[in-house]
Amino acid sequence: MKKIVLETKGLIKRFGSVTSLNNINIQVAEGEWVSIMGPSGSGKTTMLNILSCLDTLTEGQYILDGVDTSRLTEKEQVVVRREKIGLIFQQFHLVPYLTALENVLLAQYYHSIIDKNDAKEALEHVGLGHRINHLPSQLSGGEQQRVCIARALINQPAIILADEPTGNLDEANEEIILNHFKGLHKEGRTIILVTHNPELAEFSDRVIRLHHGRVEEDVRLQG
Amino acid sequence: MAGDKKLKMSKTKMFLRIIFKSLKVRRNRVFITFFSIMIGAAIITALSSVYFDISTKMSRELRAYGANFFIGPSASSGSKAIDLPVIEAAIKMVPPGRLIGASPYIYGVVRLDLGNAVMAGVDFAGLRRLSPYWQVEGKWIVVDFDDDSCMIGKTLAKNMELKVGDSVNVVRTETGFQKTLQIKGLAETGQAEDEQIFVNLTLAGKILGLEGKANHAMLSIVSAGLDIDGLASQIQGKFQGIDAKPIRKVSYSEGRILEKIKGMMALVALIILTVTTLCVMTTLIAVVSERTREIGLMKAIGADNKSIVMQFLSETLMIGLAGVAAGLIVGFILAQVLGQAVFGSSISFRIIVLPLTLIPSIAAALLAAAIPVRMTVNVAPAQALKEE
Repeated sequence: MKKIVLETKGLIKRFGSVTSLNNINIQVAEGEWVSIMGPSGSGKTTMLNILSCLDTLTEGQYILDGVDTSRLTEKEQVVVRREKIGLIFQQFHLVPYLTALENVLLAQYYHSIIDKNDAKEALEHVGLGHRINHLPSQLSGGEQQRVCIARALINQPAIILADEPTGNLDEANEEIILNHFKGLHKEGRTIILVTHNPELAEFSDRVIRLHHGRVEEDVRLQG
Repeated sequence: MAGDKKLKMSKTKMFLRIIFKSLKVRRNRVFITFFSIMIGAAIITALSSVYFDISTKMSRELRAYGANFFIGPSASSGSKAIDLPVIEAAIKMVPPGRLIGASPYIYGVVRLDLGNAVMAGVDFAGLRRLSPYWQVEGKWIVVDFDDDSCMIGKTLAKNMELKVGDSVNVVRTETGFQKTLQIKGLAETGQAEDEQIFVNLTLAGKILGLEGKANHAMLSIVSAGLDIDGLASQIQGKFQGIDAKPIRKVSYSEGRILEKIKGMMALVALIILTVTTLCVMTTLIAVVSERTREIGLMKAIGADNKSIVMQFLSETLMIGLAGVAAGLIVGFILAQVLGQAVFGSSISFRIIVLPLTLIPSIAAALLAAAIPVRMTVNVAPAQALKEE
């Protein structure tokens, strides 16, 4: 029995009178790759925001790596984000005036220790060893996303949360990023991926389908 | 410990790198903020530099309006005249560099060709410095021992039908002294002097039969920073039968003019600081708005509010310090321009101007940053990252 890294119990999120997520109960085990899918407005992004502690839930519980985040203050949530979560965004979200290396160092800077060698290694790991001193504007979309992956991994987070990581990429770059996710999975990382892309989702262990803020389907795929 | 130090240093290095790069990428906004702070600091530097010199310099300027100190016989002495050496010794008690001009005066009534007039014996050199506001037609008498010339008040000259270059007979009935004097200049003063005739002190003494005497002396003293009442007491204490006193009306007016000018300078500085604060605030609000997504990202990857606030305040502080440094230089140059234009002399540099410029300028910059910094704290990362 693998350790449960992430668990929600009766999770509800309301925006005013609109219930965006309704009674979500999921468990994600260590090393598991879960894809969250669903049509627009189904609550995928809201779910990801709550799981990444970027937003708070209205009711229920969200336990991440043994910490009940539903009772945390804003300050404590920052610590959880910093210590336990690696975020990968569809729009990459790199600081435009910092180089690839500095963008990775930034995550270290907010976390704890700055180690240039570790940051360089992380960039080499995603195939960007030769582009460390380039600004995001000098990198292609795929390269920017790889910097984003290196930044997400640099502090050894308990889970990796990715929001449409290939959504802004061409086919060639999509494949590169997909291979990186496969590699991360192989390394035993826990991954939660929000995607529209069935081709990307088919490599995950499990697919959770949301519809109108509810879990419509939670299926385990055959590896 | 060594590891901790190394860690701290590299974090500091990273912090500075973020700040410098962030400033570099927003050159235009940074320049506007820098320029606003520089202008504010320059005005404060210029005004505060002038402020500390203005008392002395304005006091000298105000001396153009006539005497502000009187020395005469005391009422208790029963005498109407003092020995000239006593008056000269009393005048010498004025601290060096403070005396603009001084003249003893002796008065008496004389008969001129067409009637009687008051004659004043004066030290012309001292009188000229004492009363630079006199309008003189013709010339001032410049030689103290000129016993053949006189100056005459404009009204008296008109009544006696006299003009520059004319001769006038001066007769003192009591002494039988009679002398013909040539009129060197006509003085228009707007005061009682317009009806008087002026000769040098020695000649007046001879005519009036009061040689070596004076009725009183008038002095023009730079009073800023001087205990003028203390000086009066010292003179009275040293010479028996002497009454020495500042002319309150003039001294008080000087004080009020200076206070008003200083008050106006403080008000101008305050207005400039307020404008600077508003300008910096507007620019920083625009900067924060532009950087909402960046702030959201930093929060998303683990930055707490303290780190974000520190970053923004440090950026403001750096621009502020650079602005103040430039403002001090520009302000000091401006002070020299003001000094030359208004007082015809340079303005001294005073170390007190440094904190007087630095503290309010930096305080204004940080105050201006208060609302923008508050905005950074309120940035919700999920919302900021969602915005296109």
